Amino acid sequence: MKRRGEASGPVALLWLGPALILIAGVVVYPAVELVKASLSRYSITGLRKGDAGLENFRGVLANESLGTVLTNTLVWVVAVVVLTILISLGVAQFLTKDFWGRRVVRWAVIVPWAASLVITARLFSLIYSYYYGTLNALLLKLHVISTPIDFLGDDRWIMPSMVAVGVFVSIPFTAYVFVAGLHAIPSDVYEAARIDGASPWKVWRLITLPLLRPAVLVATVLNMIYVFNSFPIIYTLNESNPGFGHDTTITFMYKLAFKSAEKDVGQSAAAGLFNVLLILVAVVVYLRVSRWREEEQS
Amino acid sequence: MNGTLSWRRIRPAAMPVIGLAVALAFLWPYLVMLLDAFRPSGDVVTTPASILPREWKWTTFSEVVGDERFRAWLLTSVVVAVASTVIVVLVAVPAAYFTARFRFRGRIAFLFLVLITQMFSPTSLVVGIYREFFSLNLVNTYLALILTNAAFNLAFAVWILHGFFASIPKEVEEAAELDGCGPVTRLRRIMLPLTLPGLVTATIFTFIAAWNEYVVALTLMLDDSKKPLTVGINSYVTGYEQNWDQLFGASIIAIVPVVILFAIIEKHLVGGLTAGSVK
Amino acid sequence: MRTTTSGHTAALRWGVLALGAGLGLAACSGGTGAGSAGGGGNSGKKATTIKLVAAEYSKDHTKAFWDKFATDYKAKTGNTLEVQIVSWDDIDQQSSTMVQNNNPPDILNLNAYASYAKDGLLYSADDVLSSSVKSDLLDAFVKSGTYNGKMYGMPDLSSARAMFYNKALFKKAGIAAPPKTWAEFEQDATKVAGLGDGSIGYGLPLGPEESQGEFSIWMFNNGGDWKKDGKWTINSPENVETLTFLKSLATKKLTQNNPGKTNRQDAFDLFASGKVGMVVGFSPLAATLDGAKKVDYGVAPMPTKADGGEPQTFGVTDYLMAFKKTGNQDAVKAFYDLYYQKDQVNTFIKAEGFLPVTKSGIEQFKSDTKLATYLETLPNAHLTPTDDPTWDKVKLAVQQNLGTAVTGDPKAVLDKLQKSAEAGS
Repeated sequence: MKRRGEASGPVALLWLGPALILIAGVVVYPAVELVKASLSRYSITGLRKGDAGLENFRGVLANESLGTVLTNTLVWVVAVVVLTILISLGVAQFLTKDFWGRRVVRWAVIVPWAASLVITARLFSLIYSYYYGTLNALLLKLHVISTPIDFLGDDRWIMPSMVAVGVFVSIPFTAYVFVAGLHAIPSDVYEAARIDGASPWKVWRLITLPLLRPAVLVATVLNMIYVFNSFPIIYTLNESNPGFGHDTTITFMYKLAFKSAEKDVGQSAAAGLFNVLLILVAVVVYLRVSRWREEEQS
Repeated sequence: MNGTLSWRRIRPAAMPVIGLAVALAFLWPYLVMLLDAFRPSGDVVTTPASILPREWKWTTFSEVVGDERFRAWLLTSVVVAVASTVIVVLVAVPAAYFTARFRFRGRIAFLFLVLITQMFSPTSLVVGIYREFFSLNLVNTYLALILTNAAFNLAFAVWILHGFFASIPKEVEEAAELDGCGPVTRLRRIMLPLTLPGLVTATIFTFIAAWNEYVVALTLMLDDSKKPLTVGINSYVTGYEQNWDQLFGASIIAIVPVVILFAIIEKHLVGGLTAGSVK
Repeated sequence: MRTTTSGHTAALRWGVLALGAGLGLAACSGGTGAGSAGGGGNSGKKATTIKLVAAEYSKDHTKAFWDKFATDYKAKTGNTLEVQIVSWDDIDQQSSTMVQNNNPPDILNLNAYASYAKDGLLYSADDVLSSSVKSDLLDAFVKSGTYNGKMYGMPDLSSARAMFYNKALFKKAGIAAPPKTWAEFEQDATKVAGLGDGSIGYGLPLGPEESQGEFSIWMFNNGGDWKKDGKWTINSPENVETLTFLKSLATKKLTQNNPGKTNRQDAFDLFASGKVGMVVGFSPLAATLDGAKKVDYGVAPMPTKADGGEPQTFGVTDYLMAFKKTGNQDAVKAFYDLYYQKDQVNTFIKAEGFLPVTKSGIEQFKSDTKLATYLETLPNAHLTPTDDPTWDKVKLAVQQNLGTAVTGDPKAVLDKLQKSAEAGS
């Protein structure tokens, strides 16, 4: 058994080679450039002025807004990923049921994913707007509220408003990973359970969820990364707020380079490396906790 | 028991209604966008907001489609997204299959390397990407954008396909192996049809990601006729002149090809799966 | 550095090309690539192709103008001008990326130049501007384009701010004429705000997009400035008084909701909705209002703090700067010669709805009565210290912090900005 599954290095290289070339060519090289940039001193124009040692890293760590930014990042990633996974499980379950019009509903669900994130973010900044927003107009009309809510200006509302959009655009992709996963579960497993007379909830918990586990793992890990690296939503919805008060580490990094008084691409590169480190640690911890490798080897 | 019975009775009617509600939950912002495309730009940003246009403007879509610049952007988007998707599938399938079926040194390391490529925000890599393609004299070419998109979307495809390949019981392949089929044949004849849902997911994912890529295209494609839609359409709203109607009209058009692609291959998300019968 | 990486680069190139060819995609590579835009490069040959990276003012006019300009340029000089249009949102990132890779364009259109001049990247006017062209430029812009005694920032177009007021709301509130002093201004704003139905006295944008502009025009009309006699005066008593005044407008609910988080465009949109009594605007706003034909508006000079003070105009200009590259000097010079011809520069400015930068331009625009208010004051326009490289950072600090004064302490905010400006110079 085991011997048959073994493969030698050269054979592996043949199968994985194209992927490795692509990664080395397009990801590794720029990543090395990023490391070099983080160790360099730059003028505001982008002109390299010399070596900086670890000065850029110290600069980022000394930034007075770093604590706020890290807290925002944690709230943003955890809230969006958890809500996305939970809602997507429900949506996927629904989309695999048989009913009239299911195909059209499936097409509809894909739309937030099909639309450019940059545009969706701009669209939502209009929808949320205090003065011309459709959302406020609707809530006022329905008498849910009596004065408009400043979704993107009121400190209590900014993060929840951004999280809502983050979840909204993450659900379609996640739900489709689950739909594909659900379809991969052989139907006779269910039939056996049904014959045993198990309740639908019990079937879902004891059969569906465990079999969906690989899909949930993949979706969670990828969502963590995408949500962490998500730029347009936070940048656009937060555009009229001064300072770093509602930024995550990604928009922080961008602003360090181009929008804040630092205007320093070296510091921004250092922040970029911190970001990779941060998400790397988060993913490793998650995989450890969820015992991915044991799953993998079993 | 009674409850279940009555649910059985109303189910055929109730499910489509719930379906409509679900569809609307995902569509409503884009319905707002559609309405915004049908009003003069100033009406979009008028206070107090009105849900329906105060004044209808029907010419937006013909203006956008008639715009030569828009058509060039659309072409770029289509070429880049299609080519990137083809590359990703061609590269990811062997890698995912191999890592799912064979043990070898560096297997976990490879999977992790692929994942790490996703952890770099394109915003932070864009300077290096520009430097690379500049030194290759490939700035402003489709190829540069295609390769970048392919590389950055490889991870998802490899991971999702890896999961699917791994979930197919080994017994399915064993029979074929006894018949003397090599791994390539087994992959093509048996595994791919069985993992079609995964393949479809990977295809949709890559296509959409490439279709909507922004940061790298912004930096690599400075020649106006080579810009993809995501970058180009920002011209409709600048700091000095706003054409919200056209921006949103163009954005609606940009969604259509993706939904069409999805509609074509969506049925493969279902079925194709008889793997269970082996167990 | 080039040489040490070239071996690596060659290997990489082969790898990438092999990959492309292997997948049968080489055919997808569109065009031949514009990377060689530097032209002559190191050989000392004269460049026959130069590259312009221009900011996009409007979708329909900017690209159209520059494309036409490139044709004219080719016809006149035989040189090729590659035109690349970049949105204002992204141009900082684009230009930084190019400079980081030692590949700046030959001409860059931006709202700042001093830092580039400080880094020694630019040609000065002595190198690339004919004396007849230079003498035609308005003195205020020559001054703002001059760093360390030499001119590097060639103005492409300008704008001047003035007070826009809604005539219908003024009439309804019983206001006969636009305010001349801050006291009158506050009374008028109070009257308009008192009209109810969502009326707003004054649209005040102190959000991060351009708060330095809004603050500038108010401080100039209180005798304040960013810099005086070569020293930063951000936290001068006049400026603290000005910011405190702006804050008080918000506190008294004479402004729109949350002015510290309102960007310029939002304030303009509110004015265009007919809900705002007054807003500081410029000619592109007038163009929008004229197009929509919804708001009957007037344009007046800014009110001053002191009774009978001389109203100050805040002027803004963007720049066309030229990067020093081997062999491109003549082509760049020809570019400027052509750009500043009356039928080029003024055609561009007119299409985009801005104001001239040359004396001959003022003459040519004079016939347009709509522009009268601006044109009179333009030669005396008061600018921000764009000639100081430190300003390029101070400006960003102002944008990111000024809005917090609306809910915080104006003096503390300005003290902090003063400190960072002093540390930066």
